[in-house]
Amino acid sequence: MNDQWNNRLSEYLDGELDSTERAALESHLATCGDCYATLAELRQVVAHAKALGDRPPTNDLWAGIRAGLTPGRRPGVSRDTTPVRRRFSFTVPQLLAASIALVLLSSGGAWLAFKPDAGAVGVTPRPGTLLTPVTWTARTDLAVAELQEALTRNESRLDTATVRVVRQNLAVIDRAITEARTALQSDPGNTYLNLHLANTMRRKVELLRRVNALVAES
Amino acid sequence: MPRQVLEDTLTADSIAADTALAASGDPSAFERLYRTHVARVHTLVRRMLDADEADDVTQDVFIRAWQKLSTFRGESAFGTWLHRLAVNVVLARRKSVGIERGRFITEEGPLDRASGRPVTPELSLDFEEALARLPEGAKQVFVLHDVEGYRHEEIARMLGIVPGTSKSQLHHARMALRRHLER
Repeated sequence: MNDQWNNRLSEYLDGELDSTERAALESHLATCGDCYATLAELRQVVAHAKALGDRPPTNDLWAGIRAGLTPGRRPGVSRDTTPVRRRFSFTVPQLLAASIALVLLSSGGAWLAFKPDAGAVGVTPRPGTLLTPVTWTARTDLAVAELQEALTRNESRLDTATVRVVRQNLAVIDRAITEARTALQSDPGNTYLNLHLANTMRRKVELLRRVNALVAES
Repeated sequence: MPRQVLEDTLTADSIAADTALAASGDPSAFERLYRTHVARVHTLVRRMLDADEADDVTQDVFIRAWQKLSTFRGESAFGTWLHRLAVNVVLARRKSVGIERGRFITEEGPLDRASGRPVTPELSLDFEEALARLPEGAKQVFVLHDVEGYRHEEIARMLGIVPGTSKSQLHHARMALRRHLER
């Protein structure tokens, strides 16, 4: 076994040799059974490492963690922090409540709608009752775009924590909208999905209107 | 949409919602995040430190995560952010105890230490044992590179070494574990 090449086997395995070095090492491997065998074993080690699973702790550590959380305080907010200037803020849980419920309802609803035995939920509309989402979604998209533009202009008047929460909520709602639209491409006549999309977009408009209204009052 | 995709979406949405709730000060939401992520964090800590430190350090990781939730911008998944935080806590811990450990370095060769125990039929468990017996530097680099998927440049930055040292330590670790596997 040539130590010069043996010490480069891991780099070879990880694709970190340049083309000249790689070619030279491959030439060596063609004639050195030891290095060839070592390379195979190193591959096995890497495969083992990638296949290692996670194991939870033997004891439940939550009680100790819970005891270490400062009660009645938002995480990451220092008691000594004094705002440099007054910024408008509103209750984060209020903002969250609607979107959390939406997340659970939308994901659960989509799940029910698409599970194989979901006949009761994935209703096929009767003739003449088919919803046509194109018109109202176009209108709502326009309203959303206007509201988002207004929010972008004014969001510097909100404190950063609030902006972050609003953005997170909008991201959650956008995911739900995307998911509903994707599902509707497969089943455009699904009444539940049409109503779900409408409801989700309405919630987005409401959230944006609310935030913009509060900014305007500040 | 395939069922697995829906399940993943449901999980991701739940975690995003719990992260937002926890950031607003909801300990129940944070407990759900803990239950989802504790196995991964505890395993990382256990592999990089002594097993008897793993519980304490894991608790420390989650308490720090709670304290730092306001810095989580949502640019990555919460799990990714938490994992990186755990790595930082582990490395800081190792740094703080490293001087004391240095006093107890033995003359025993690193490869011998790693391959000195007989193999049991439970190969993966035995692999974990061999991993735990690697010299500290080689173990750190092996866990970060081969188990956790960090690149040498990232590892070098985290550990304050040059990438060449990281590559060398990784090779030594693999060679040690290779000897272990072939017995």
